[in-house]
Amino acid sequence: MTATTRTGEQKGEGSPWLVEILLRPETTLILVIIVIGIVTAIKNPNFLNVGNLTDIARAAVIYFVMACGASLLMIGGGLDFSVGAVFTLGGITAAWLMGIAGIPWPIAIMGGLAAGALAGYANSQVIARLHVPPIIATLGTYFVFTGLCIQITGGQDIVPLPKDFQRLGQGTIMGVPFVVIYAVAIGLVFWFVLERTPFGVEVRAVGGNRKAAAANGLRVGRIETTLYVLGGFTAALAGIIYAARVGSGQVSAGGSGVTLAVVTAALIGGISLLGGLGSITGVAVGAILLSEIDNALIVAAVPPQYNTIIVGVILIAAVAIDHIRRERLYRIRR
Amino acid sequence: MSTLAHSRTGSPASAGEPSLALEGIGKAFGQVKALTRVDLTAYPGEIHFVVGDNGAGKSTTLKILSGMFRPDVGSVRIGGIEVHMRDAAEARQFGIAVVHQDLALVECLDIATNMALGDIPRRGRIMLDRARMERDAAKVLSGLKIRVGSVRTQIGLLSGGERQIVAIARAVRTNLPIILLDEPTAALGVRETAHVGEILDELRAQGKTIICISHDLEFVFRHADRITVMRLGNSVATLMRGSTNRDAVVGMITGTIGAAAESAQE
Repeated sequence: MTATTRTGEQKGEGSPWLVEILLRPETTLILVIIVIGIVTAIKNPNFLNVGNLTDIARAAVIYFVMACGASLLMIGGGLDFSVGAVFTLGGITAAWLMGIAGIPWPIAIMGGLAAGALAGYANSQVIARLHVPPIIATLGTYFVFTGLCIQITGGQDIVPLPKDFQRLGQGTIMGVPFVVIYAVAIGLVFWFVLERTPFGVEVRAVGGNRKAAAANGLRVGRIETTLYVLGGFTAALAGIIYAARVGSGQVSAGGSGVTLAVVTAALIGGISLLGGLGSITGVAVGAILLSEIDNALIVAAVPPQYNTIIVGVILIAAVAIDHIRRERLYRIRR
Repeated sequence: MSTLAHSRTGSPASAGEPSLALEGIGKAFGQVKALTRVDLTAYPGEIHFVVGDNGAGKSTTLKILSGMFRPDVGSVRIGGIEVHMRDAAEARQFGIAVVHQDLALVECLDIATNMALGDIPRRGRIMLDRARMERDAAKVLSGLKIRVGSVRTQIGLLSGGERQIVAIARAVRTNLPIILLDEPTAALGVRETAHVGEILDELRAQGKTIICISHDLEFVFRHADRITVMRLGNSVATLMRGSTNRDAVVGMITGTIGAAAESAQE
């Protein structure tokens, strides 16, 4: 078997599995997570309470679900700054449909998801047809979608939402919050798509070298549109999960902070802004790390300004370390 | 071996139906007229070189053949039927594989994946069949006597020459009847150039139609059946290798020799 997949002498492969694991971006991050956990637990043992750890997981879920779509998009060479607004739009749309229009909540959820997918499609079209660079196009749509949310709600939060819907966001099974189960399921789907389907390979090809992908007959435009739609979809999904968790459709749920958190989680998790590289497991660890920092600083009673400073330093360190790692792995010149 | 026989006489192995023909192709980019009138007829079992100075329109011609540009005027015929290709995917459907000058490889993906791009093997309907992808790549590479290490090696780790060979192997893997190559030996050393030449000869022996752009006249005269000379957006002549020589071709490329007298009559 191995003989058939090799054509000559070994090269650039065959490093021992331990080295391979240590070189993975996730490994460093997991170590950082453990270190922060230990330091915080020493200052305040309550950090390790099941209830507190569950809170961390709950918050990480929101980042992670959004980051699944956002990361796939970034691996494909795109970027979506509107996710913070689409997050709100998804939650608000679903909440409005079930809370004000009186539509049954399962259909309202689909309505919210459709709004997110539509927003993603709008992003892709602004980029493809108007030739606006992704970062500017989605910054523009971020403002547009934010305005739409206020328009829909008149600036008021939508309450109350149906009890059954709230249970989706608040319930637990054997101590595990439903939302964590959703996140795992969504993570598995995105992992499968990225690592085990031809589409995943094509996404990496488009992100790695768009021109080459097109020259090889890949329908680059179609792939990019799909990625923006998926990005909008997961942002809205996260918004709906959040609405269910807090029991209301909040106009101020998302915003630029959420956009930056999601992009940060993806970058910390080893997604390259240059496209092509990254993994869903990395993003999961990145999301958990962000959420842990948020929580740890509160539990350890550290003044809030340190939160942003620490996140900023970790982001820069993660990307810098990633560059060094990649230089070694791929011998990137230039 | 028939390859040797016909390369000695300079006559095509099968001068029957042309597999591919460009007729009166013109293409402008805004004010710039890249191609004025290009005619080119290629036959199966032949290596057809396109030569010309920089700016003569060779690469534009190749991009029209590969579906990346659409001609303003003129027709493209494949197997005698006029076709209109809108992108590289459609060119593939018409049986055309391309080795681009920039190679069109994705550095962060491995050899096997790069070789499969555009035609990724599936298991069931949605699953990627990585094992088959790697097997196919290894089979093609060993068939071409190419040694580039494991097929899981990232393209970014390969040298320029190795990348060129992988790009050619990818075109071979598609097993399409028409293969276009843009300057396949530009970045290669002597030994690698000879290897590419062997691969082209082998493809000719398999009956493929090979259209190759090259600046390397020594390489051209070693492997060509036909040579089309381009100058300033025109195809000025198509010559059988046996009926011309290097000086004549250089003269036509630079414009010091008129083309009409030398041109082979189709």
